[in-house]
Amino acid sequence: MENSDRSGRLFTLFLVMAKIGCFTFGGGWSIVTQMQNEFVERRGWMTEEEIVDYLSLAKSFPGIMIVNMSVISGYSMAGIPGAFAAACGLVFPAFITISIVTYFYVYLKSNLYAQRILNGVRSAVVPIILSAALKLKSRSLIAKKSWVLMIASFVLCAFTDFSKVLLILAGALLGLLLWSSDDVKEEEVGE
Amino acid sequence: MMMLAQLFFSFVKIGFCSFGGLTMVPIINDEVLAHGWMTADEVMDIVAVAEMTPGSLGVNCATFVGLRSAGIAGAVLATAGVMVPSLTLCLLAAIFFIRLKGNTVMERILRGVRPVSLGMLPAVALSLGQSSFLGAGGIAWDLIAIAILCGYLLVKKNLSIPKTILLAAVLGLVI
Repeated sequence: MENSDRSGRLFTLFLVMAKIGCFTFGGGWSIVTQMQNEFVERRGWMTEEEIVDYLSLAKSFPGIMIVNMSVISGYSMAGIPGAFAAACGLVFPAFITISIVTYFYVYLKSNLYAQRILNGVRSAVVPIILSAALKLKSRSLIAKKSWVLMIASFVLCAFTDFSKVLLILAGALLGLLLWSSDDVKEEEVGE
Repeated sequence: MMMLAQLFFSFVKIGFCSFGGLTMVPIINDEVLAHGWMTADEVMDIVAVAEMTPGSLGVNCATFVGLRSAGIAGAVLATAGVMVPSLTLCLLAAIFFIRLKGNTVMERILRGVRPVSLGMLPAVALSLGQSSFLGAGGIAWDLIAIAILCGYLLVKKNLSIPKTILLAAVLGLVI
């Protein structure tokens, strides 16, 4: 009996996360509202505080934020199998949608009207990336040394073939060297 | 077989280097261009598609690249690869959550990583822009005009990204 309860919960977790996955557009911040709705209000499997805590954890680890969020929440609701069920559920709709898009992509690329549409769409990608950079500015550039890191990274990326993976690693290392734990704590108090 | 392993590990790498949304684009761009899996134009198409369809950029891109270069198996492996950091590091963090509370190491790392990711964004915009605005037929002023209009609407009028892409698609068709 206990076993079938457990697999029932895993299956529900997968399905609910798949439903949430259908509506995560763009950065996917809507996942928080939807999880609140499904797991806190409707099922009582999580608390409001848990969502907030897990979100800050999900944001501060590498990986895709919404997958991180699913893994942590899934783990809290049904252990390690829950983490896997939630993550797989979340990406399932995207996987299917993109598979269909990819299938038509080859056809679309050879169609004249579709080519014009794609040209227009590509023009929008550059400002979209730049506006993302503007939005991240206030959270990333918190000190003079952050500016130096940002400019150095820009120059290395724009004018050399320096590996971006190494740049991220260098950034991580410099973060540890340039900021002490006290800096971080002080700023949190200040917030 | 080799190809499948390369796909998997490339996307593991992309996953580990991603700290939120579009900061992934420069790394994805590097990996897929280096392996010859996609062209710069295709990278821009998939960024646009990813912003219009459900799912995060990382997952969408993994599925797209995997499927195009190695079929269904490629799509599954690339998508699994991009999820590896969440299912390892982040899962461990969840398990030890209470012990990690108040630990500032990750926050210090992020102080260094955030500006580095930020600097990569204009650099990748520059290189993607070159490939779309300076095509074989000289400078594409009409496309630059679309880009400027979209940038204005995004930043000043807070137009949503899916709507901006839709507008750019219509303009591309009629201009």
